[in-house]
Amino acid sequence: MSMNAQLVIEGVGKVYRVDEQTLAAVREVSLTVKRGEMVAVIGHSGSGKTTLLSMIGGIARPDSGRVLFNGRDIHTMNSDQLADYRCDKVGFMFQFASLLPMLTARENLLLPAAFGRSRGKPDGRAEQKAAELLALVGLGDRLAAYPAQLSGGQQRRVAIARAFMNDPELILADEPTGDLDEETEQDILRIFREYNRQGTTFVVVTHNRQLAASQDNPRVVRMKQGLLQEEIGPA
Amino acid sequence: MNSALEKQLNLLDYALASLWRRRLKNSSVLVVFTAVIFLVASFHLVTTALTETAGAVLRQTPEIVIQKMSAGRQEAIPVAYGEQLSRLFGIKKIVPRVWGYYFDEPFQANYTVLGVDPAAMPMGEHLVQTLLAGAWPGSAANQAVVGGAIRELLALSVAPPTVEDDFPDHSLFALHRPDRSLKLLSTVGVFRDETALLTADLIAMSLADARDLFQIPADLATDLCVYVHNPAEITNLARKIAAILPDTRVLTRPQIEQTYRVVFGWRSGFAAVCLLAALAAFVILAWDKASGLSPEERREIAILKILGWETADLLLVRCWEALIVALLAFVAGCTLAWLHVVFFEAALFRPVLVGWSVIHPPFALTPRIEVKDLLLLFVLTVLPYLAATVIPTWRGAVVPAEDALNG
Ligand SMILES: Nc1ncnc2c1ncn2[C@@H]1O[C@H](COP(=O)(O)OP(=O)(O)OP(=O)(O)O)[C@@H](O)[C@H]1O
Ligand SMILES: [Mg+2]
Repeated sequence: MSMNAQLVIEGVGKVYRVDEQTLAAVREVSLTVKRGEMVAVIGHSGSGKTTLLSMIGGIARPDSGRVLFNGRDIHTMNSDQLADYRCDKVGFMFQFASLLPMLTARENLLLPAAFGRSRGKPDGRAEQKAAELLALVGLGDRLAAYPAQLSGGQQRRVAIARAFMNDPELILADEPTGDLDEETEQDILRIFREYNRQGTTFVVVTHNRQLAASQDNPRVVRMKQGLLQEEIGPA
Repeated sequence: MNSALEKQLNLLDYALASLWRRRLKNSSVLVVFTAVIFLVASFHLVTTALTETAGAVLRQTPEIVIQKMSAGRQEAIPVAYGEQLSRLFGIKKIVPRVWGYYFDEPFQANYTVLGVDPAAMPMGEHLVQTLLAGAWPGSAANQAVVGGAIRELLALSVAPPTVEDDFPDHSLFALHRPDRSLKLLSTVGVFRDETALLTADLIAMSLADARDLFQIPADLATDLCVYVHNPAEITNLARKIAAILPDTRVLTRPQIEQTYRVVFGWRSGFAAVCLLAALAAFVILAWDKASGLSPEERREIAILKILGWETADLLLVRCWEALIVALLAFVAGCTLAWLHVVFFEAALFRPVLVGWSVIHPPFALTPRIEVKDLLLLFVLTVLPYLAATVIPTWRGAVVPAEDALNG
């Protein structure tokens, strides 16, 4: 394992059981991601991309294999340590709407910051950070809006901003630009690249070849019926 | 500020927002919860207040009462009967008493008339403590002490017992003797509201005045009150009295208390069962409501978990929510109960607890609030609710958070 391998996935598998049927959503997937790398995950619908991401994020538990983050197997952690991992190390962008409807955009951003064990925060810093991030995604004037008062794309951008709140080392993004227009999508990708340049690692699920293709250091992996294959980056 | 405190404040903040978001559901729970606590607390206040009032009044009653029986009915007892008991050891005093019921036609009201001679009673000087104002009738004739209900009904004022003029004032009222002649009485005192359970409809006067009103010969009384030296001897003495005076009925204070307690206990027991049923229904309702986490709530839990919330934080938020609802309901319910009992005279419970016919006039209750009662009420109501809301969250929080990922 090289020094800068931040994320090591070893033979990870996940089987879903629904009634009598079993379905291998992810099969024997191995992948090593270096610190500061940007990995695009592509693949057909139902190929296991979200499932893989959830196992990396410490959300779903794999049935086999290991997920090492900075050399530590996250699925051997107790639930509090895992909560800390999700809170401090990882920023998760959901494939579907994930804002809490009873909270404003600003409050949704404060969620990851406000309640962690190790955080002693809402001094002005978190508030200020929330405002900056919302401005970054072009919603600087909608801090007090409730999700229901925002368009689908705006809600999506709030959720993107939220993933950056705790300065995570790793961003796991599940089709983050799925319902954004091309221009906004480009804005978001620019933000990703900027964070990436500063050292944040990205694993991004996307149907958008362009996202994968337009990277400075493109690395694309493809999920196919639960299996993962490395793609040779198009030059 | 300390970061642990900071975190609690944040969680509280979140809990408030969450309560507000589900304000419709929460306010309906709040209303039902408040109503249950209100009922239970009112009931508790009324029963303790009544028990205490009754106990205080009964303590004033004689230890043994002798009534003459004839053909199974009570009739006037010769005062001379008391002399036959003089050889019995342990009797402190025997005091004749005249009492009866008086129907006031114009007002369609029943009064209880009691004639006693406080000077002859062992604790006679304490009787003045039962008075709100004025004094117990002295040696002068035609003086009376009335209960609050009668005072109100007849719009009487209290005359100073020392001033003796014949000028008619608002302290005067008249009762008919059996021969329709009028007996004029001057109000010299009013009973305390606390004793209203027994005194609301009472007119107390001297023994001589009561005999005059009912036209009972001077050598007769309604019953004889026997005061004893040693309360432990009451039953024993009562048996001996019954042996000496075979044509009498001998009642002891424990018997009277017992009768009273049985009637009162049955009523309160019945009401208590009804209340417990209401409480149980509420607990079941709360459980039912809370245990079925809505999909929306499950989703919220899942999202928060993915954002790095610990199970403990999720539980804390739920605890805060439940605690806020429960404490609001508790404070509101207890306050309403207090108002209900003190200012509305427990209007909801009076028919059940004391019965319309037993005590018709209003009576004031002076409940005492004790910390242990509040604690008991808290344990009975708030804790089940907390459990009913927090346990399902705990069960929900241990299920995997993946649910939130697929829309
Ligand atoms: N919670 C679950 N229970 C049962 N089966 C599941 C569950 N989640 C996913 N699956 C199944 O696992 C397979 C992989 O699902 P996954 O969500 O990882 O696909 P995906 O690649 O993210 O697809 P999409 O591009 O449509 O989002 C699918 O066949 C799906 O039906
Ligand atoms: Mg998916």
